[in-house]
Order: sequence, then structure tokens, then C-alpha cells
Amino acid sequence: MSTLQFLMDGFSIAFQWQNILFAFVGVLIGTAVGVLPGIGPMSGVALLIPVTATITSGMPTEAAAASSIILLAGVYYGAMYGGSTTSILLNTPGESSSVVTTLDGYQMARQGRAGAALSIAAIGSFAAGIVSLIGLVLLAEPLSNVALQFGPAEYFSLMLLGLAAVSGLAGKSMTKALMMTVFGLMLGTIGIDAVSGIARFTYDLPILYSGLEFLTIAVGLFALGEVFKTILEREHEDGTIAKIGRILPTRQDLKESAKPIMRGSLLGFFIGVLPGAGATLASFFSYIAEKKFSKTPEKFGTGAIAGVAGPESANNAASGGAMIPLLTLGIPGSGTTAILMGALIMYNIQPGPLLFDDHPEVAWGLIASMFVGNLMLLILNMPLVKVFAKIIETPKKYLLPIIIAISFFGVYAVQYTTFDLLLLLACGILGYLLVKNDFPVAPLVLALVLGPMIENNLRRALTISNGEFMIFFTKPLSLILLIVAAAWLLIPLMLKLKGRTIVLNEED
Amino acid sequence: MSKTFDRSAGIIFLLIGLLFVIESQRISESSYGSEVGPDIFPIGLGSILILLSARLLYETFRYEAGTKNEGPVKYKKFFIIFSSAVLYAALLEPLGYVITTFLFLVIAFQTMESGKWLQTLVIATAFSFGVYYLFAEFLGGSLPGFPEF
Repeated sequence: MSTLQFLMDGFSIAFQWQNILFAFVGVLIGTAVGVLPGIGPMSGVALLIPVTATITSGMPTEAAAASSIILLAGVYYGAMYGGSTTSILLNTPGESSSVVTTLDGYQMARQGRAGAALSIAAIGSFAAGIVSLIGLVLLAEPLSNVALQFGPAEYFSLMLLGLAAVSGLAGKSMTKALMMTVFGLMLGTIGIDAVSGIARFTYDLPILYSGLEFLTIAVGLFALGEVFKTILEREHEDGTIAKIGRILPTRQDLKESAKPIMRGSLLGFFIGVLPGAGATLASFFSYIAEKKFSKTPEKFGTGAIAGVAGPESANNAASGGAMIPLLTLGIPGSGTTAILMGALIMYNIQPGPLLFDDHPEVAWGLIASMFVGNLMLLILNMPLVKVFAKIIETPKKYLLPIIIAISFFGVYAVQYTTFDLLLLLACGILGYLLVKNDFPVAPLVLALVLGPMIENNLRRALTISNGEFMIFFTKPLSLILLIVAAAWLLIPLMLKLKGRTIVLNEED
Repeated sequence: MSKTFDRSAGIIFLLIGLLFVIESQRISESSYGSEVGPDIFPIGLGSILILLSARLLYETFRYEAGTKNEGPVKYKKFFIIFSSAVLYAALLEPLGYVITTFLFLVIAFQTMESGKWLQTLVIATAFSFGVYYLFAEFLGGSLPGFPEF
């Protein structure tokens, strides 16, 4: 069957009434998650896994997986829309990927053009969503065909590249990022070894046999870490929210932002495809690029609409692009895609090159639903933006305890153990301390998910080569991947030696 | 960046790495028939972590102590909420979801800002009952709702 035929089948799945509903709920919650500071796309997706698992429990496995992933992915890209709202209205980004939007977005709001900024952000995100989907459709087949040629050695090197990319870009100190990566890999070895069936580091505790649940650790490190931080250090109440005013952008606004939206979408998409680089980086690059392209760069920072349109398109395109390595190679490039991958594995569906052959309805259903979801988001975000802006006003004193309670519910409803709740709390403290001291936690979570797969492929490759490590260097593709991985770590290091500052990549 | 934290973190992670390498020696021999047993990967990771921690410790001697102006830290508030969360976790199974969630929310809301009892009670009740009935009754998920007598 041709790609087009598959895409049509995907649409027939996305247009089933329950999947339309799932996509709608996903993007709605996603927008709310994006608007609320303190709860990012990563924890939002993680917390919804038990809920979707329960709702879909009656369905056949594949349909259930398709519906769940449609909802969860909706949360992911929905958050990219919502994140801009607080940046523009409050000057506080709801997500790290909307940090640069504050620069010009808030200035526009102060000039009474908040409505125009918000709608341009929504239009840009929509255009970017469509661009990234076209890219996804075009690249999915060829990439998974390439990936089918991969043996264990290539897979190992590819995953190493993913980890190197995340560590190389995360946080201020690469040493700390690498430590977190290795620590995550170590946590992943706890439990029964999948190859030999031998229990490792379990100390005869039955609860440890299945390993540490990544969901618990991710929610603890991200959601609770952030909540604890706010409880401990909340310095002041948030400022006043700017008035939205006229929502539709003027003809002039549209004209000025058309090109930045296109550039941002393409740039964001390609940055998103790279493992490790994420929406945050994409929006930073887009802002810098727009400033370079602009005829009036001095206007940036004082309310230039291009400074909103470019980065907002880029971060949304990046979230679409990030789906590519996940779906075609089975390798998550960011924290949030790692959680999406965990959700798929829960349904016994392994993302990767075989996904498009074995479970076309999941893969293409998801892709098609992203078209539908983006359209919904555009409709939701234009007229309803005032309603979402109200969510910002949720008082923190109610919000924070409720986030703790939701995390408890989310973890308990999947794991059913008190142990996981205590682990969750411990991870919350750990997350707070680590992040406060510039130890990035995203590499830890990614490493925890990738760990067992990396080890598996490492050992399979070494078994093939009779314990000879040269196998990773003699296979050309594997060698190239390893060289790229090394470059990813060494180039930022060299730039740092030259005294340049490097853009940070945080949770996305 | 806190120098003391980085130093202690360096030492702790160094010990974790060391522990991992030592404990990996105890992993039983595999019957899998390969030279590459289940201990190779953990030993490798432990060694890398030791090297990285040493590198971090070395770095802490090189940079100047950062001057971070930190606001007042609300330990008391945090301590109350955290310990009630621990109790919440411990009592969730024996007392059931609804009661523990309700109590936790009431304590946490009042700790965040005391007063406005009506709002506190309404939100805590709505959340604890709402989540339970929506999830367990309406969606058919399983959650221990109330204590079993």
C-alpha cells in the first residue's frame, strides 16, 4: 500500500467518534497544562497515563493503544499552544519552550496587542503543526526502511547518540548532565535482567524484581520537584494579567508574521527530529534567526510580532518532529517522548521501524489525529483564549496540593503499591535538589527508559562478535553514529572553552 | 551553584558508583552461554560514574563559589506538607482513597494559607469524592475507596 493509502486509513481511525473525543480531551488538557505554570507537558502526559489506561481498558489492545496515544500526544502538542498564553499575558512562561515568547509577546501585551500576539501564536502553531505532519508523513516510511537494516550494534550506537545529544545540550555543566545520564542507566538495571533472567540489585525485595517504574520517577522528579520548589521558595504573588482586547490580528500583523511562521516551522521541525534537541532549543534558534532576517532588528524586544510568530511556530513544529525518531526508530529524543514511548510499551506495542508494518493503525492513526488535533487547537485557542487565561488565576494554594494529590492518584492507579508512592515522594525531593543545583533531570528519565534497550543491544552485539568491542567501530553505520555522538559532546565543550555561552535545553 | 552541594553530590555519586561495581561482582553467573554476562553493563556504568564524580569533585575546586541571593526558604510549610504526604502514602491502603485524600488536601490547603474553611472543605470534598467516583465507579478503575471493616 502506498503512503497515501495508509494516511487515509489513519484518517478513518482518527475520525472514529471516540478518537475525535480523545483528541479533543487531549488537546484541551494539554492547553490547560501549558497554561498552568508548575506542571509541564512531561508531567501532564505522565499523569494521564493511568486515566487513559482505565478508559481504554475495555477495547481491543490495538484500538486502545491508538486511542491512548492520540490523547497523550494531544496533551504534548496542546501544551505547546498553551505555553504561549502565560508568556504573553503574564511575562512568565508556562513551559520552558515559551521562554523567548516573553521577550516580545509581553511587550505586545503592554501595548494592548495581547490578542494579536495570542492569535498569531495560535496560527503559527497551527501552521507549524501542519508542516511537521507533512514532514512526518514524508519521512516516516523511508526512515523506518533504513532502520530495518539496523542490527544490534547500530541500535546501540544510535541510542548512545540520543543520550549524548540530551546530555550535551542539557544544563550548565556537562559533567553533571552525564552523571545524571549514567545514574539513570544504572537505575534501569535494577530488577530481573531481560536477557539472562537473573535478578540484579534487588536484595530479595519482591517489589524490585520488575524494576523501578519510570512513570513514578518521572512524575516525582518533574511534577513534585517543581511543586516542592514553589512551596519552599515562592517569593511573590504573580503580577497582573494583561487585558486581551481584540483577538483577530490585523492584516499588517499577518503580513509581518507569515514568513517567520514558515521559517520557524521548518527550523523547528528539523531541530525536533534531532534527538535531544527539543522545543526549547528550537524556539531559541528561531528567535535568533528572525532577528537576523529582520530588516528592523532593533524592534525585537519591544513588541515585534515576528518575535512571537517564529519561536511559537518553531516549538510546535519541534514537538511534531520529535515524533519521528520515536515512531520510526523507537528512540525517544526528549523526556516527553520517552513517556509517550513508555505508554506504548504498556500496551505491548514497541515503537520502532516495525511499528508501521505491525501496527499501522496506531502509527497512522496518531499521525492523522494530529491533523485533527491541531485544527481543534486553532479553534479552541482563538475564541476561547480568554477562558484559558482565567486558568492562570487558579490560586497556588489550591493548585499545589492538588498537583500532589493528582500525582498520587496517577502513580497509585497504575502501580497499586505504597512503595511507589514513597518512591514518588523521594524522587520529588531528589528532583528539587538536583534541579536547584543544575543537575538536569531530563537525561535521567530518558536514560531510565533507554537503559534496558541499550543494554540488550549491547549484549546482543557483543555476543555476535564474541565479546569483541570492535564490532561498534567496524560497522560503518554504527561508526558514523558514534562519531556524531562524540561530536555532540565535544563541540559544546570546545565552544565553552572558547568562552561562548550555550543555549540551555530544559524540560520539554 | 552551591559548592557544598556539588561536593557532597560528587562524593555520594562516587560511592554509588563504587557500590555498583562491588555489588555487580555478586551477580550470579549466567547460564546464557555468553561471555557477556549480566554484570558487564552495571560494572561499566559504575566505573563511568566514578570517573564523572571525580571530575565533578575536581571541578568544584576550580570555580568560585557562586553568590546566589536566595529568598527566605519556607521549611516549616514544606515540612508539614511533606510529612502529611508521607502519611497520605502510608495510610492510603488501610484507610482508603477518599478519606486520606480529603484529609491531606485539608491539611495542605490550610498550611498553604490558613482561613477560608468553607472553600477548603468544598474543594477537598469535591476532589476526593469526584476523583474516586469518576475513576472507580464511572470508569471502572480499581482504587481502594473506603476502609474495609
